[in-house]
Amino acid sequence: MSIQFDRIASILFLATGVLFIVGSRQLGSSSYGSSVGPDIFPLLLGIILVLLSIRLFYETMVAKTQHSSKKKLLYKPFLIIFSATLVYILTLETIGYVITTFLFLFVSFQTMERSKVITSLIISAFFSGFVYFMYVEVLKGTLPGWPIWLS
Amino acid sequence: MGTLDYLFQGFETALIWYNLIFAFVGVLIGTAVGVLPGIGPMSGVALLIPVTASATGWLPPESAATSAIILLAGVYYGAMYGGSTTSILLNTPGESSSVVTTLDGYQMAKKGRAGSALSIAAIGSFVAGIVTLVALIALAKPLSSVALKFGPAEYFSLMLLGLGAVSGLAGTSVTKALIMTVAGLLLGTIGIDNVSGIARFTFNVPWLYQGIEFLTIAVGLFALGEVFKTILEKDEEEGEIARINNLLPSKAELKESAAPIARGSILGFFVGILPGAGATLASFFSYILEKKISKNPSKFGTGTIAGVAAPESANNAASGGALIPLLTLGIPGSGTTAILMGALMMYNVQPGPLLFEDHPQVAWGLIASMFIGNVMLLILNLPLVKVFAKIIQTPKQFLIPMIIAISIFGVYAVQVSTNDLLLLLGCGILGYFLSKNDYPIAPLVLGLVLGPMVENNLRRALTISNGDFSIFVSRPISLAFLLITLLWLVIPLLMKRRGKEVIINAEG
Repeated sequence: MSIQFDRIASILFLATGVLFIVGSRQLGSSSYGSSVGPDIFPLLLGIILVLLSIRLFYETMVAKTQHSSKKKLLYKPFLIIFSATLVYILTLETIGYVITTFLFLFVSFQTMERSKVITSLIISAFFSGFVYFMYVEVLKGTLPGWPIWLS
Repeated sequence: MGTLDYLFQGFETALIWYNLIFAFVGVLIGTAVGVLPGIGPMSGVALLIPVTASATGWLPPESAATSAIILLAGVYYGAMYGGSTTSILLNTPGESSSVVTTLDGYQMAKKGRAGSALSIAAIGSFVAGIVTLVALIALAKPLSSVALKFGPAEYFSLMLLGLGAVSGLAGTSVTKALIMTVAGLLLGTIGIDNVSGIARFTFNVPWLYQGIEFLTIAVGLFALGEVFKTILEKDEEEGEIARINNLLPSKAELKESAAPIARGSILGFFVGILPGAGATLASFFSYILEKKISKNPSKFGTGTIAGVAAPESANNAASGGALIPLLTLGIPGSGTTAILMGALMMYNVQPGPLLFEDHPQVAWGLIASMFIGNVMLLILNLPLVKVFAKIIQTPKQFLIPMIIAISIFGVYAVQVSTNDLLLLLGCGILGYFLSKNDYPIAPLVLGLVLGPMVENNLRRALTISNGDFSIFVSRPISLAFLLITLLWLVIPLLMKRRGKEVIINAEG
C-alpha cells in the first residue's frame, strides 16, 4: 500500500465525481410528469464520491509513512505479455482467431519460461484449434476464423 | 403445490442428462479452481460465464438459464471443497476461505495424517452442503413471501444494506471500499436510461449505449488482475507436497469431528446468509468457536482434526447460505454471488422473490442439482484427491497465458467487439493496481450489478412520494434497514478506533 497511490487515486476519484455531477446536470430532471428524472441518481452518487475522495485524501494526509516491503517486480515479462495481448486483441478480427491465438500463446509460454519449446508449440496449436473447432463447428458460434484475405 | 412437489420437479430438471453433465463439469472445474492458487471462485465463475453461455445456446431460454446456473453454482461450491486440498498438503490455501485450514491441516499432513484430514474435510463439506440445502428449502418460501410485501422504498434500503455490509467488511479501509461501491454504481448508470430512454454519459459513442457489460469488468478486474499479479510477482518457492497415506479416517477421528462438523455447518450457514460476511469469515469464526469450547485449546494448531473439520464445514455451509439472499431477495451478499446474479440476468432471469413463482424450474432445478453436485463432489474428493493434488503442479508457464486466452475468447464470444477486449485489458491493469493498494474489487462489481435496480427503486419510491426523501425514514421497515446499514458501517470503525483487530473478509 502506498500513500502516493492513494493520493493520486483520491484526486482521480474526485475528478470523476465532479465530472459525473456536471454530466448529470445536463440531463433532464424529470420524466413523464414525475419530478424524479434520470439525473438524480448519478447526481447523488457524484456528490457521495466527491465527499468520499476528500475523506480518502484526508486519510492520506494523517497517515504515518510506512515502510512497505518492496517486492522486486518483473517488468520485462509483464511488458512482453501485455504487448502480446494488445497485439492479439487488435489483430484478432483481421488475421482471425486460430493464427493469433496460436502466436499469442506461444510467445507468452516462452516469455513465462524459456523452455519446453516443443510442448509450447503443441499446446498452443491444440488450444487454438480445439477452441475454434468446439465453438464454431460444434456450438455454431461466430468467431473470425481465418485471415480475411483468405476467405 | 407444496414445497416437496416443487423439489420433486426440481429433481426432474436436475436429472436430465445434460444437466447432470453440466453439474459434473461445474463441480470438476470448481474443484480445480479451488486447488489452483491464484484463481479464486470469483474469477473462476466469471471466466466460465461466456463458456456456459455458448454451451447452452442450443437450449430454450429458461432451460439454458437453469443449465448455466447449475454449472456456475457448481464451480462456486466446488471451489470450497478444492480449497482444502492445497491447504492441507502444501500449506498454501487455494483460496482465502481455506486459510484457517492450513493451521491444523498442514500439521496433520506433517504427522502423516494427510489422508484423514482430506477425507474429513470432504465429509464435513458434504454434511454442511446438505444441511444448508435443507435450510435453503425451508427458508426460501417464507422469505420470498415476506419480500413480496416490500415496496420500492424498502427495497432501496435493503439494497443499501447489502452494499453497505459488503463495503464495511471488504477491506482494510471502509473509505476505499465505499469509493469502489460508488464507482461501481456510477459505472452502472452509463448507457441508455431504461425509464426515460435518455442516453447518459455516452458521449454519442454507440458502443456505450447498451451500457458497460459487467462480464467484461468482472473478468478483467478479477481474472486478468490476478494473472498480471502472478506475472509481476513471480514466486519461486515450491513447497513439498505431503504424501497421502490412508484415505479413510478412523472411527475415533469420525467421532471426534462429528460435533465440530455440526457446529461448523450451522454457524457457517448463518454467517453465509448475512450480506458481506462470507465463507472466509465463517471459517474464521467456526475455528475460534471450536477453540473456545474445546477442553484443551492448546491442541489447536498442532494438528487436531476438529481444526480441519469445523472451518471446512463452515465455509461450504456459508457458500450455500449466501445463495439465500440472492435467490429469495435478489440481493447478492458477496462478489461471487453478485457474479452469479449477473449471469442469471444475462438470461433475463431476475433473481428475487418472484423467482420461485416465475421461474420455478430455475430455482428448484438449481437446489436439486446442488444435492447431486454435493454427492459428486464427495466421490470426486475422496478417491480422486490424489489426482487433484497433481493439478497443483500444473506449470504456471502454461496456466497463465491460457487464462488470458480464455478471458479474451469469453468476452469476445459474448460481446463480439474489440472495444470490449480493450476495456478488458485496461480493467486487468486497473485490477492489479487496485487490489495491490487495498481497494477491494468485489464492491465495485456488486455496485455495477445492483446499480440499475437500486436506481429503479429509488426513482419509484421518490415518484410515489413526489420527490420527498423522507419516505425512506417514515416507513418502519425501510428505516430499520437504513439503521442496520449505518451500524454495520460505524461499528467496525469504532472497534478499530478502540484498537481491536477487526476480521475482514478477503474473499469479498
